Amino acid sequence: MSTTADLEGLASRDAVGQVIAGRSPTRIALRRLRSDKVAVVSSGTVLLLVVLALLAPLITSVLGIHATTTDPDAPLPSEVLSYDGFPAVGPPYYPFTWEHPLGLAPQTGVDNLARLLYGLRTSLAVATAATVLSTLIGVSVGLVAGFARGWLDRLISFCIDLFLSFPFILGALALAPIVVSRFSTDLEALARAQVLALVAVLVVFGWMGLARLIRGQVFSLREREFVQAAHVLGLPTRHILFKELLPNLVAPIVVAVSLTLPAYVAAEAGLSYLGIGLTGVPSLGQTINDAVPSFEKYPLYLWAPVVTVMVLVLALNLLGDAVRDAFDPRTRR
Amino acid sequence: MAGFIVRRLLSSFLVVVLTSMFVFALFFLGPSNPAGPVCEAQGRCTAERLELIEQQMGLDESVVTQYGAFVGGLFRDRTITMGSEYTCEAPCLGISYGTRGEVRKELMEKYPATLSVALGGAAIYVVLGVTLGVLAARRRGTATDRLLVGGSLVVSSIPYYLFALLAWILLTLQWDLFPATGYTPLTESPSAWAAGLLLPWLVLGITGSTQYARFTRGSMVDTLGEDYIRTATAKGVRSSRVLFRHGLRAAIVPIVTIFGLDFATLLAGTVFTEQIFDIDGIGSWALDAVKAPQDFPVILATVLVSAVLIVVANLVVDVVYGLLDPRVRVS
Amino acid sequence: MRFRRPVIAVTAVGMLALAACGGSGEPADDNGRAKGVDAEKLADTGTGMDAEREGPVKIDGATEGGTVTVLSYAGLNSMDPTEAYYQSTLSILSGLVTRSLTQFAYDEESGEMTLVPDLATDLGTPNEDYTEWEFTIRDGVKWENGDEVTAEDVRYGILRSFDRASFLEGANYSNAYFLDGDEYKGPYKSGKDYAGVEVDGDTLTLKMARPFPDMPYWGSFPAMGPIPEGEDEPEEYRLHPWSTGPYMFEDYNPEKSLTLVRNPHWDPNTDPSRTQYPEQYVFDFQTDSTKIDQILLKDQGEAQTTMTYDNVLAANFRTFQDEHADRLVLGGSPLTTYWAPDYRKVTDKRVRQALAWAYPYRDAALAAGYVEGVTRIWGTNLLPPGMPGRTEYNPLPGHEPGSTDTAKARELLEEADAVGYEIKWLFQNDDPNTVKATDIVVRSLEEAGFEASPVATTIANFSTDREDPDNDDINVRSGGWLSDWPSGGSWFPPVFQSTDLEEEGLGSNYAVFSEPEVDQRIEEISMLPIEEQPAAWNELDEFIATEYFPLFVLGYGGVAMAHGSKIEGFEVDTAAGMPTWKGIWVEQ
Repeated sequence: MSTTADLEGLASRDAVGQVIAGRSPTRIALRRLRSDKVAVVSSGTVLLLVVLALLAPLITSVLGIHATTTDPDAPLPSEVLSYDGFPAVGPPYYPFTWEHPLGLAPQTGVDNLARLLYGLRTSLAVATAATVLSTLIGVSVGLVAGFARGWLDRLISFCIDLFLSFPFILGALALAPIVVSRFSTDLEALARAQVLALVAVLVVFGWMGLARLIRGQVFSLREREFVQAAHVLGLPTRHILFKELLPNLVAPIVVAVSLTLPAYVAAEAGLSYLGIGLTGVPSLGQTINDAVPSFEKYPLYLWAPVVTVMVLVLALNLLGDAVRDAFDPRTRR
Repeated sequence: MAGFIVRRLLSSFLVVVLTSMFVFALFFLGPSNPAGPVCEAQGRCTAERLELIEQQMGLDESVVTQYGAFVGGLFRDRTITMGSEYTCEAPCLGISYGTRGEVRKELMEKYPATLSVALGGAAIYVVLGVTLGVLAARRRGTATDRLLVGGSLVVSSIPYYLFALLAWILLTLQWDLFPATGYTPLTESPSAWAAGLLLPWLVLGITGSTQYARFTRGSMVDTLGEDYIRTATAKGVRSSRVLFRHGLRAAIVPIVTIFGLDFATLLAGTVFTEQIFDIDGIGSWALDAVKAPQDFPVILATVLVSAVLIVVANLVVDVVYGLLDPRVRVS
Repeated sequence: MRFRRPVIAVTAVGMLALAACGGSGEPADDNGRAKGVDAEKLADTGTGMDAEREGPVKIDGATEGGTVTVLSYAGLNSMDPTEAYYQSTLSILSGLVTRSLTQFAYDEESGEMTLVPDLATDLGTPNEDYTEWEFTIRDGVKWENGDEVTAEDVRYGILRSFDRASFLEGANYSNAYFLDGDEYKGPYKSGKDYAGVEVDGDTLTLKMARPFPDMPYWGSFPAMGPIPEGEDEPEEYRLHPWSTGPYMFEDYNPEKSLTLVRNPHWDPNTDPSRTQYPEQYVFDFQTDSTKIDQILLKDQGEAQTTMTYDNVLAANFRTFQDEHADRLVLGGSPLTTYWAPDYRKVTDKRVRQALAWAYPYRDAALAAGYVEGVTRIWGTNLLPPGMPGRTEYNPLPGHEPGSTDTAKARELLEEADAVGYEIKWLFQNDDPNTVKATDIVVRSLEEAGFEASPVATTIANFSTDREDPDNDDINVRSGGWLSDWPSGGSWFPPVFQSTDLEEEGLGSNYAVFSEPEVDQRIEEISMLPIEEQPAAWNELDEFIATEYFPLFVLGYGGVAMAHGSKIEGFEVDTAAGMPTWKGIWVEQ
């Protein structure tokens, strides 16, 4: 696993006469990332968005804006809207105002910036939870399948095929009314249940890709000498799995994570559009959905969440690409 | 090789069977009552009416019996009672709760729309993707390459449904650059068929091409870095011949692999495309069936179609992969 | 009649605006009222009758031909004439396809609907006390297959209207008024031997169990028209009812599309009100509201011969009014929407009154996409403005209709020692507009001291959940009712009369209201001479509200529909809140 880059590093240090220690691929990758401009910008963007999402409650209370009408301090629709539901302050019919920089939402009169921040929060929370879970499951299953041979591997491959052949959207849609009817009388529980159901659906239909990938990687790795050596030495399987294989799988796992997260953000927005969105909490998909009917008169209302989703997904994708390049010893800089 | 195919066929068959059982379980053992929508369709639903309908539909029998009836219906004609009696010719996929028509017939009717979308879209994304990938690989390092890679990255970062939605809003509604989208059968009017599907094809094509472009480019760049290429170039073989004969051929294998599954998914009906562009195909049909009131026979049929297509695609891809790459056959 | 699907409180409905709200650029006429919707006369469907009217009808300047495309985001309920009981189905059937004893004609000058003869030669001849009606069926009317329509056919159709089991959704006026209406169960179950409807040559004699002065109005329903015996299997017939009108079914895909083509056997000389100018009507139920509005706003190509009977979205209303006012059709419909606490559970009148004080009328209307002045006009009477004999009253002294006072509500709750009383009602979780409105209602109710627990359901399940009298999850139901005809007789019996919960469930009595005194009064008023009824119904309206206060009105509603530039003759049928199909033609 040594590369010319490593040797270069060794050589330069040598010249200065310092003690050299071997660097793990991860450390090398991080170093390369730091000097990659695109990676820096995109990770900065992602970080910014995450911070904004985490600080949403603080920001909204400082600015005095509200994301939902259920907040007792939020203005009532009749206080801020005209007769046809369009805002009586700010765009589209009135001049810009600093109090509501992104304008108000029609029909409810909530502040769009607040709604955006909370929506971002929901999207990131759901996507992160789903990514973490599906990564854990995918890696575990992939490891087991790759390492075990014979019937266990075949069984797992069969399961992967089974899950792959079931249409994910239908699964999500079928689950939604079941969740609603189960929690119909307790709205808070319903909101929570919807989020959990969404995460569950994303995970159930998302772990297969990584599992397959890891399985393939393990296949090729287990033929390598160091694994066979460990085997011959009589080291327990668990040791081999965690101490020998796993570190070499960091790269594909990190890359997969960096690609899965934006995919889940996009999926959540898409499901919202189809009508199985989260109703108890603000979400970006829901906002986009609401904004479509008035796109001509009130374009800002549509573009704000759309651009946010695009920027988030783009930044994550760029970061993922940069991470992949950083881990790939064959790409030169 | 033959043994491999047989085993895969068996496991594919098993996948389809299990999927169908799963859908049955989901609806008959789940909290929603399939008799509900049938009862609803006839007006206000009273408790006795519901019970009567459950009896007629055979819902009071065990799930196993009902599943058996379904499987039997695939080989023999069936009479299904849902308020009135309906005959369902073999292979019988059930009677739709909503329209009271044979599900198989409606499937056949809607299929051409989905097929049209899939063929056009796939043609565009493969051709566009591979061409752009080759172009980028050929001029790697140049501005063109960076532009293509960057552009492809940006496009792939826009969630598909957003891209489609914005395209529809801006191009059809606001700027009127494209005619209204929708499906007209090819046999009725080829020009209307093409006009109505043009925007969906382009949207599918552009968004789908990004991964093919990347794969092609990546694969070709890798191949072009190999020693034997250097040798060929040194020997004086023309660069384009080198590119296509060697570079592209190496890229074909992974492309075929992705394409198989991609195309199968398209054939199973893309819900977003059909919803946004108003196309009356399998995807929309499935979506309507899953939204309450749920039309169980339709859901079952569309899930099975999807399962069969994906399983077949996987199988074909595996076989082709085995044919193309001798290393796989041996393992 | 029933409001069009899915259900009342929400759906993507946009309306007109009330100038009084302030802001800039509201459309208004001199009275400061929104143009086109006369809030005073919403339900004034007109009490005009013209028993002499004859066909054929000729519209000046109208041209033949053209295809009218009709878009709507929702499908249609049952199109079986005996069962049709929704705004949309009733209107389409009686305007274009099926003929009945009588029909409504649009009067251009007054904008009102006049009752004129249809298959009958006049509006019927009653006996002294309205317990017997005679109708003579005219000659020369044919089915879509060329066969003559006979009085026997009409008799059979009327018999079919008694069957409540086969036609669950249908109106039950036959059962309520006709001789032995509570026993006779229609031809499928009780055979054709029924004394209440007799045929002698061309004349039908209808016998009532009690006075039914409104019989000519009931006669305008498709259920009071001919049905071909032997060809009327309900499952099939609702997919292709036989036409006696200018158009017939060519193709019907429920929830998807309906194509009506010219019926060659319709003779305009026999029809006092209908016309047959367009070549065909093509209905499409699969376009969503945003697209419908966009198509009509652009008015390009096929859009010019397209129309909709949906209301335009609130988001597009201003654009329509400002830029395309000639293609926006505004008018009234006799609709009242209300909240009905379950009378069996919410037993303290003060709690019900507190609810009426606490409900956020304005805010909820805005959140749900309504517009003050058109789809939401405030009021307290059950009968909407314009109903004959209606005079306003206020059962809650000091309460301005449409206003909210949570402090006053809290006072009442304290008085009733019911602070923290739990209010549970249904809302459709998959309809964003309902969700928005529900949030607002929760907030207001809680501010007033209630405990607000809305119960989630889906659009598809809403009706079933609401109509279950034993649903313990809720104690308030939201409901709406449209006049079947301009008389309290089509309001109070369905909305307030006790129902046999075991036999028929709630019916349309969403409040599950049951007071023997009220039942009796309803009976008494139905027997009064026709001139005395309007005032008596109004009195009853006030009596019920002041004495019992079983429900409170959320608002009355009108309509705002749109069409392409080549559609002519599109006015509002105020009896239904739908287009005047009979007068539509396409500019060539």
